[in-house]
Amino acid sequence: LTVTTLGAFRDGIRRVNQAPLLVAGMVLVTLLIALPLSIALRGMLEAHLGASAAGEIAADRTNYEWWEEFTAQATGLGTTFTPSIIGFAAVMQNITGLVDNQPLAATIAGATVAWLVIWLFLSGGVLDRYARQRPTRTHGFFSACGVHFWRFLRLAVMAWFIYLALFGPIYAWIFDWGYPRVTRDLTAERSAFAVRTGAYVVFSALLASFALLLDFARIRIVVEDRRSAVGSLLAGVRFVARNRRRVLGLFLLNAIAYLLLIAAYGALSPGAPRTDMHMWLVLALGQAYIVGRHYLKLLVYASETSLFQGALAHATYTAAPTLVWPESPAVETITNAEPTAAR
Amino acid sequence: MGRVFARSAAAIALLAIAAGGAGPGAFGLVQGRGSTAAKSRDVAQPAAATSDPAPRPRIANYSIDARLDPESRNITGTEVLTWRNASTHAISTLRFHLYYNGWRNTNSTWMRERRLAGDDTATRHRESDWSWIDLERVTVTRNGAEIDLTSRVQFIAPDDGNADDRTVAELPLEQAVNPDESVSIRIAWSSRVPRTFARTGAVGNYFFIAQWFPKIGVLEDTGWNCHQFHAATEFFSDFGVYDVRLTVPTGWIVGATGVARRTTPGNDGTTTHHFVQEDVHDFAWTTSPDYLELTETFRHPTLPAVNMRLLLQPEHRGQERRHFEATRAALKYYGEWFGPYPYGHITIVDPAWQSGAGGMEYPTLFTAGSHWLAPRDVAEPERVTIHEAGHQFWYGLVANNEFEDAWLDEGLNTFATARALAQVFDPNSTVKRYFGGFVPWVFHDLPLSRDTELRALTLYREAAKRDAQSKPTFQYWPGTASAITYHKTVLWLHTLERMLGWETLQRILSTYFARWSFRHPKPEDFFAVANEISGQDLTWFFDQVYRSSNVFDYGIDVFRSEPINVAGDTGGAGSRAFSRPSNTGPPYRTTVVVRRYGEAIFPVDVRVTLENNEQIRWRWDGLDRWTRFEVERPVRARRADVDPDRVLLLDVNTTNNSAVIESAGPRAARKWSLVWLIWLQDHLLTYGFFI
Repeated sequence: LTVTTLGAFRDGIRRVNQAPLLVAGMVLVTLLIALPLSIALRGMLEAHLGASAAGEIAADRTNYEWWEEFTAQATGLGTTFTPSIIGFAAVMQNITGLVDNQPLAATIAGATVAWLVIWLFLSGGVLDRYARQRPTRTHGFFSACGVHFWRFLRLAVMAWFIYLALFGPIYAWIFDWGYPRVTRDLTAERSAFAVRTGAYVVFSALLASFALLLDFARIRIVVEDRRSAVGSLLAGVRFVARNRRRVLGLFLLNAIAYLLLIAAYGALSPGAPRTDMHMWLVLALGQAYIVGRHYLKLLVYASETSLFQGALAHATYTAAPTLVWPESPAVETITNAEPTAAR
Repeated sequence: MGRVFARSAAAIALLAIAAGGAGPGAFGLVQGRGSTAAKSRDVAQPAAATSDPAPRPRIANYSIDARLDPESRNITGTEVLTWRNASTHAISTLRFHLYYNGWRNTNSTWMRERRLAGDDTATRHRESDWSWIDLERVTVTRNGAEIDLTSRVQFIAPDDGNADDRTVAELPLEQAVNPDESVSIRIAWSSRVPRTFARTGAVGNYFFIAQWFPKIGVLEDTGWNCHQFHAATEFFSDFGVYDVRLTVPTGWIVGATGVARRTTPGNDGTTTHHFVQEDVHDFAWTTSPDYLELTETFRHPTLPAVNMRLLLQPEHRGQERRHFEATRAALKYYGEWFGPYPYGHITIVDPAWQSGAGGMEYPTLFTAGSHWLAPRDVAEPERVTIHEAGHQFWYGLVANNEFEDAWLDEGLNTFATARALAQVFDPNSTVKRYFGGFVPWVFHDLPLSRDTELRALTLYREAAKRDAQSKPTFQYWPGTASAITYHKTVLWLHTLERMLGWETLQRILSTYFARWSFRHPKPEDFFAVANEISGQDLTWFFDQVYRSSNVFDYGIDVFRSEPINVAGDTGGAGSRAFSRPSNTGPPYRTTVVVRRYGEAIFPVDVRVTLENNEQIRWRWDGLDRWTRFEVERPVRARRADVDPDRVLLLDVNTTNNSAVIESAGPRAARKWSLVWLIWLQDHLLTYGFFI
């Protein structure tokens, strides 16, 4: 069992490594979403600094006084320019923002939704590529994106309601109702921290469980050419239920990989840049970390696809493993056209 | 004077006897739970007792017996107040503070003001969270006869007329009290300790009990100064002697204002702790079975020794050194700068988590505040410990009216805190806490200096125009009262230091301290000392910073350094010679236009720095809305500054205080936008969890 889980993880690595362009493409997508906002912020900072000598300090080290002055007058995007963007604090801020259900600035929320929709679109092609384990080329990739997008979107609408419940009443129940009651008479901070950690574990487990169901629903949509969002979600539930130990094991392996990555970034992160040379070093390290995160994100897709295909293999997959012979798109098309393929 | 002074005389005798005894000078630890006293015993006394024999105004003297029932959180108490009319007029009514009624219900003035400031949490409190204090019997003793005045007690609301507020009680007397005459009032009361509001109350088995007994107001020549309890202010009362016996469950550690004289076990599982303190104006106490009790002694070549007693939360074990060192720093630097701490003992209370009792001062006792995870390079708990220990000087000894002029002690003390902190803990770094506020992350890139300590300018900037400081503090807008009280004062004291120099400011503060210890100064008293010691009439300054809510903002509007070109007719009389502006070399004319964007006025320097590092300075009175300076030199200027030495720390916009010919702004903006880019990318990937 362990071997199978580990095998899926290893196979996932292999599949991601086989398609480095996917990693590069997804990094590029994220960059293209983030870069315009970064340029907009740069304009705000530049305008605020103007010809001031405060710019010299801000350029060579951290000018906290100017920073606070900027923040005091900032609106929109500018309000997110806080010390929490520096180095590893950025990671802390983003995770705590998610698990503490902190509201997002409107601009950032907009960018996040746009990024999620684009990833939703692209994930059909990504899963298809990993399932087929061979180059699908641009046309094949985007065809798969187009075919699966509307199915994924229907699934996402369902997921939206579930997440709404998770981050609405369930979050409120755990953190706004339960946590204060459990800790009401505690006088030791460490005890309260233990309770809060427990609450995070419970809430994260709920989130992760549902995310896993969605992952396998999407995989079944792609691999089995399912059209029904409800049906695929139920199929995802069935798969996870029947293979819960393997799914959980794979989830833990992916989670460990993520924790190792952020731990490495935490250890290496040099904080705020000082000189120009240092700035490029910080940027390079930061981007290496971002590439790593993309890699791990895709590894989740690939390893879960591998696990599914390894655990539930049959001949009529739309996105089947590599055809041995004759490996031709025509044969694949004929195979996919069989009426049973839609099951 | 009666019974109170009989008791305090006994206490003084005990103190005198004990003064020669061995104090707990060495580092010691007593576990709280289970330390049951088998029999009545005297408590070891501090090595250094009150050393200043100068007569002090003992106006309100209390002898209190109180019993706490931790289960119900009820306190039943009896106090005998011996009060002297120190005014110049006879008075026929007495007024008492009943602070616990501020949290009786949502109609109190305190709660209404909190709601006004946007705090709507009051409605979420449970029935057991509310507090009250009821006067059960009030009698006055005259010529040996005890007269019951209970039925005469009425609630009044001198500040806002709120008929639902019960925080001030008025007691019409049967006979007026003449100037310098004393009266003895016996009050029996019952109260319930709240779930902590405003740093007093209980959580679990931790009790911090302050503002808990019926406390008489301050009678001034103009009448009673006895304000209702307000959300944005603290307290005011007369000096006197406190002789207090507190009964709590046996095994519970008690910390209180003053010195523990005796512990007496009862027959019902309780122990009575007897505390005495002279020449203070309040009494607070705390009890819990969980405290770790540690002691050390502060010693100094020229200052009196002080026994420090630390009541530490068990989870903060390992932080005792930090608490003691911070208290030492306060006693040392405040002592050297302002004057000695005279009491010989001080109790540091490390409050329980979520008790809300941290960071508060009471005579000879204060609450600090720390976290379970307290990084070494962040001045926490040092900052709050120095600040609250410092309040022993500014509040405890120089006892201004915190209802009306809270800035006077809070501002002076916050300024001194930053200065003392800088001596022992500079630089310290900014910290932010994540994951529900539990996990700290230290920003070593953001060191805090004396200027940026407490983010004073940032917090003041947000609140600058809300109130003039001269308005009575209890009438400040509740949401921004602390910014005006603390941060504005810190900024203008820093400014004053830079105007006059530290030596002069230190002499101002030490003179003010010497003259007004054990008294109730008003702002004008401080200003008078400042004028006298500085040898200047600083009224203009105090008009700007104290009597006005105007903001300071000077900035460089135009900064040019260009070759001198002349276009047009350059001929002499009767001749015409037209030239074109073609000169690209020296000499250069540098023009600086400085503007006063704010309403407040302050004389400032203007400085131009040339490319050869030559500096040219002008002095501007800062009165006009703008002014221009020009200079011609063979080299170009590279930088212009208004207020280049940062004298005026109240300037709300410092970015516009300088201008350079070649701006580094684009480079800085690029750098920081790229740092932000990484944050945004990570944010997107974190939310990518959903896909």
